Amino acid sequence: MTLCHYLVLSGLLFLIGLFGALTRRNVIGILMSIELMFNAANINLAAFNRFLHPDAVIGNAVTLFLMAVAAAEIVVGLALVVAIYRNTNTIYPEKMDLLKG
Amino acid sequence: MEHIVFFTLSAVILVSALCVVLLRNVLHCALFLGLALLGVAGIFGSLGADFLFAAQIMIYVSGIAVLVLFVVMLAGSKSMLHDKQTNDQYMPAILICGGVFWGMWAYIGKFSGVTASAQAKPTTALIGKLLLSEFAVPFELISLILIVALVGAILFTRPEELK
Repeated sequence: MTLCHYLVLSGLLFLIGLFGALTRRNVIGILMSIELMFNAANINLAAFNRFLHPDAVIGNAVTLFLMAVAAAEIVVGLALVVAIYRNTNTIYPEKMDLLKG
Repeated sequence: MEHIVFFTLSAVILVSALCVVLLRNVLHCALFLGLALLGVAGIFGSLGADFLFAAQIMIYVSGIAVLVLFVVMLAGSKSMLHDKQTNDQYMPAILICGGVFWGMWAYIGKFSGVTASAQAKPTTALIGKLLLSEFAVPFELISLILIVALVGAILFTRPEELK
């Protein structure tokens, strides 16, 4: 396997996540797409670590930090979804129009 | 053997990621998200990152995917199971994705033919040493971020009468 295979895989995964974040109507769907993009970045970091610097583990350590940040992001995001759902009874972004007055 | 493992995992990841993005039923999307994350764990395994393999399963598959499922159950309504879940902007989205891929391809092409030079080694001990020496400050900061996220989540979701 070459580095190129892993980069193409993570590129396609990132694009699928980007497509989902742009086209989903549902906040939970958007958050799930963002998780896919995070995972694409993680694959990239691990692949570069393995192929270009096989003796170092800094890529793996940074991936761990990314996982922790992604976990914090999804926790806060989902808490916001629940809070918005309680107040407006919807999880569709186009219906969250309280600021329109 | 390596090829079979890689292409099987890739197929699992990409197909389930497409299901996450395209399916109507949000519950199925959340389950396919778990499958895609599991496939990424397998890719970490094939890259020789053994600690990441375990961390991916513990944090993503059994943490984040389950949390998403919780919220789908909690904030979902029956209409979410069959209503159209995508907007009408798929054409601009495809164009943006095509542009991004075209940009990526210019850089991916530079790494064609790079193969792994050495056998993969166990990484756990090395990561532990790195986190407690060179990366000690970010390591402590990340724990601060996690505790802040935890407190924030409790603050946002507490019942009205406690405010």
